[in-house]
Amino acid sequence: MTQASSLIVLEKVSKTYQLGKVEVRALKEVDFEVQEGEFVSVCGPSGSGKSTLLNLIGCIDVATSGTVSVLGKDVVEFSDAALSKMRNKIIGFIFQSFNLIPVLTAFENVEYPLVLQDVPKIKRFEMATTILKEVGLADFVEHKPDELSGGQRQRVAIARALVTGPKIVLADEPTANLDSKTGIEILDLMQKMNEEYKTTFIFSTHDPKIEKYAKKIYAMVDGKLHL
Amino acid sequence: MKTVRLALRNIFRNKRRTAITFLAIISGSIAIIVFGGFIEFTYWGLREMVINTQFAHIQIYKKGYMEKGGTEPTKHLIKDPNLAERAISVFPNVKYMRMVSSRLSFSGLISTGEKTVACMGIGVDPEKEKEMSYFETIIDGQQLTAEMQEEGVVGAELMKALGAKVGDNVTILTNTVAGVINAADIKVVGVARTGTKEYDSVFIKLPIKFVRRMLNTESAEKILILLDKTEEVPTVVPLVQKIIDDKGLDLELQSWDKLADFYHKVVNVYEGIFNVMKVIIGIIVFFSIANTMSMSIFERTKEIGTLRAIGTTRWGITNLFLVEGVLIGILGGILGVLFGILAAKVINLAGGIEISPPPGMTTGFVTLILIVPKVLLYSFSLTALVAVLSSLYPAIKASRLKIVDAIHYV
Repeated sequence: MTQASSLIVLEKVSKTYQLGKVEVRALKEVDFEVQEGEFVSVCGPSGSGKSTLLNLIGCIDVATSGTVSVLGKDVVEFSDAALSKMRNKIIGFIFQSFNLIPVLTAFENVEYPLVLQDVPKIKRFEMATTILKEVGLADFVEHKPDELSGGQRQRVAIARALVTGPKIVLADEPTANLDSKTGIEILDLMQKMNEEYKTTFIFSTHDPKIEKYAKKIYAMVDGKLHL
Repeated sequence: MKTVRLALRNIFRNKRRTAITFLAIISGSIAIIVFGGFIEFTYWGLREMVINTQFAHIQIYKKGYMEKGGTEPTKHLIKDPNLAERAISVFPNVKYMRMVSSRLSFSGLISTGEKTVACMGIGVDPEKEKEMSYFETIIDGQQLTAEMQEEGVVGAELMKALGAKVGDNVTILTNTVAGVINAADIKVVGVARTGTKEYDSVFIKLPIKFVRRMLNTESAEKILILLDKTEEVPTVVPLVQKIIDDKGLDLELQSWDKLADFYHKVVNVYEGIFNVMKVIIGIIVFFSIANTMSMSIFERTKEIGTLRAIGTTRWGITNLFLVEGVLIGILGGILGVLFGILAAKVINLAGGIEISPPPGMTTGFVTLILIVPKVLLYSFSLTALVAVLSSLYPAIKASRLKIVDAIHYV
């Protein structure tokens, strides 16, 4: 597939961090491409650069060198406001620690990305309620995050990531804080959403049992990506 | 509205911290409202005292008196004061005016035979000036009455200087309008205290008929107008001026505030103190809210990163924290006003605050705390404004956090 039809393209992307006086090369000239509808895992041990890769794809970090393109456009050309808008419309995020807003209910957490798009209230209600039902939380819409289990919180996070109908969802170690049974349930749900909505999923994990859910598996070793 | 709802929930997320912040704001508001109410009462008391004992609300003179009357008073007397009084007392002004009365004063000497002291004789119509005698405190004897011909009420400090007592006869020495020396005896029937030490050390109040005989004139130096309320002065002044102009009277007028130099000096001093106090309170409230906002941002770093990741712009983050700061200011301001009013009412119910005699005054007084709308509004506005200013830097700082660092913040 050509770059023009790929969702995300990374060309010779490197990322270096300064850790005190030490320079850490988290990514070393990584080439990466992902198409619509793919279900991809990026596996590797802690510190291998998986999260860094996802951060760059999600445009919440900036590459030290190389090119990151989203829908054919180099993200360097985007202003901060434009990047925010793009993340809101095209990219969904699922975090290891769920990262829900504690003062908002499950419904309000899911609704929030739609509020940022100025979606009318009635439409927001419809969209948020539908997706919460899809993830099995129809009876928990008024619960705050501290009233939900870990698995339920991650379901809310998945619903929030999907409510705007994004092209791609990035899940950084989505099952790391869950027990194995719940982790499997979450992966099943993500797989279901991928098949139903044709949304591309890229998730990172260090668990070999989980990585096999993906149709494409990348291995991240010392900042280099291998298929 | 969404931002307001989210901001409100975040404000009450840490109830203890928010309560402490509100406490700082409420304390500041109470200080402003109580002190502001205290000085407003002081202004009112001093203002009404100088108006009702010395100047009245409006004074009318012969044209030219304001410019030259100080050095040549006898050349600028109102020849027919009764005509002028009648002209001014007509409807529709009557409803505003409690008193319209002529005065004639002189500088001279007062003597018991053993002691002689300088004095200022004030000739009044005792019947008409009953209204102006209410603010004088008769500490011995009685007030002048309409029947008295050759009696006088002496200022407390002047009486002390003379070493005389009620019932004594004293001699008044002055010049007539023609410049001829004249003297007459009067009986002291009362000793009065007006509250102003300077005034109490020179004045002797006499029947205007007696003063006219002393000065050998039927004229008046000025006509005093006392109104129902001091607030009516700006309304009445142009009305009286119109009467003067319409009737072609050779008169000019002056309102009390142009004459009350001491009052304005007191106001300036108190305003200066109040301004310093406002600045100090503003600084305390500023740092209190800024600290709360900074702590809140610190605790919510991860949350800020998440909001940015899901599409909130920098301005969205700034706005969120600004709204929180403003809401703290508004809610704190409202609570501050309510508690300020409560504190004022409690102080008033307890009998007010006793104040010792200020400089230039002879007696202390009990101050109540006036609940003044402009002071309440000021207290609220200060809190709201300071809240916005103190939230600005933390809000901008929050919006500048690097998303990737904020999300993974532990």
